[in-house]
Amino acid sequence: MMAHAGRTVAEQNQDAALIERIRGGERAAFVAFYDRYSPLLFSVAARVLGERKEAEDVLQEVMLVIWNKSGDYDPQLGTLSSWAVTVTRNKALDRLRARTRRLRLIEEAAVLAEDSDVTSYPSANEIVHGRERAELLRDAMKELPADQRMAIELAFFTGLTQSDIAARLQQPLGTIKARIRRGMLRLREQLGGAL
Amino acid sequence: MIDEGMQEQAAAYALGALNADEIGAFEVSLRVDPELRALVRELRAVTEALAGTVPALEPPAAVKARLLFEIDPRGGSGSKTSQDQPPGRPVSGPFGAAVSKPVAEPVSGPAGRPPQAWIPWAVAAAMAVLSVAFLWQSSSLRSQLAAQAGRINELTTSAELAHAESAELRLTVAKLRESNRLASFRIALLDSLLAAAPTAIAVSIWDNERQDGVFIVRNLKPLPSDKDYQLWIIDPKYPSPVDAGVFQVNAKGDVREDFRAKLPIQAANQFAVTIERKGGAEVPNTKAMVLAGS
Repeated sequence: MMAHAGRTVAEQNQDAALIERIRGGERAAFVAFYDRYSPLLFSVAARVLGERKEAEDVLQEVMLVIWNKSGDYDPQLGTLSSWAVTVTRNKALDRLRARTRRLRLIEEAAVLAEDSDVTSYPSANEIVHGRERAELLRDAMKELPADQRMAIELAFFTGLTQSDIAARLQQPLGTIKARIRRGMLRLREQLGGAL
Repeated sequence: MIDEGMQEQAAAYALGALNADEIGAFEVSLRVDPELRALVRELRAVTEALAGTVPALEPPAAVKARLLFEIDPRGGSGSKTSQDQPPGRPVSGPFGAAVSKPVAEPVSGPAGRPPQAWIPWAVAAAMAVLSVAFLWQSSSLRSQLAAQAGRINELTTSAELAHAESAELRLTVAKLRESNRLASFRIALLDSLLAAAPTAIAVSIWDNERQDGVFIVRNLKPLPSDKDYQLWIIDPKYPSPVDAGVFQVNAKGDVREDFRAKLPIQAANQFAVTIERKGGAEVPNTKAMVLAGS
């Protein structure tokens, strides 16, 4: 199996040991996990929600899930951190959906934010993985065809289903499915090879 | 070999783009197909990498402090098992038992002895037991006092953390302003003030560094041709709201406009929209305010 995008085998082993210690109730392991991944999770929550205060609440909720429900994590389906990212994204989207009246406007605000120069700020990957590898990840994203990247980012950051995206972009559902598949597989190849 | 249809589902599953029915059906396949599980594992790693491309933000120190207190209120280096015991629980049981038992004993004292003879002994015994009980209680209170002192220390630490967080936040904002253009943005949500149009809403995105912004409106009623909506910025630097231009909405009540203020803005604390004559007014007609927010 390929090395997972964004992390070395040593990091994967460290994380596997960390989850065992967290499951054993070791507070120090939990603190280590928090110190390593909270910037990533907080950044994702803030990106989805468009504000920091609620992102703090989401981060706290997610960390309590890590501490209290680490048994829900299935290592066969991903690393501990990728599970935590998924939980963070879903909890942030739950809150966003609760604010239905704001949803479309916040999305537009997020799209406007995306218009800024993507190379002008340090990414969460840089905090977690270091600058060199963060640049590899960023370059891989930038090399993705724009239509594939848009479909993927809409799916992940706004919580739209493939059908929603097809309706929004006024494209056939099959086209959107193909874009997401091609884009994700392409990223997998690029990131797996680079790391 | 995983076919394209299943690859599509795996990619959408990793991104969270399947609906509930699709998730259920896909997870059935996932349970019985180790190759599919391996693909999902890899695609989730891609998703994590995608998530990590967002601008980095450090959570405030207070979040960590709250979490650590929540998982172990005593702040020790212990485990989940130690948190099962509530902190500072009053130790009242021994006190009650110590009092009730000695009081009952004298009643079964030696029969036929004159009451005057055993009463002083009983009183002495009761006093002795009460002394022990009071000593016990005193010890218990001391324990509770120590626990409360510990709690006060924790709260003091939390207050210090909050203070540190405030300082850290200012520092973070300063750093972000250097590195992130978005940090100078102020995003405000403006709610409807019209009973007749409660769904009208707007977002103002103001870039204080560039002194310009974008204004997005939904569900605002189109105006007659001799009137305009006018956007105002409330900046405490000025005695009255600052004119930020006029706009019209389309037939659906929507618009997206770039705007600039007529005066340099120091702090865009609030935004408001009023209905004015065509071309706008010098000062807002507050009786015709339709949207406001911060």
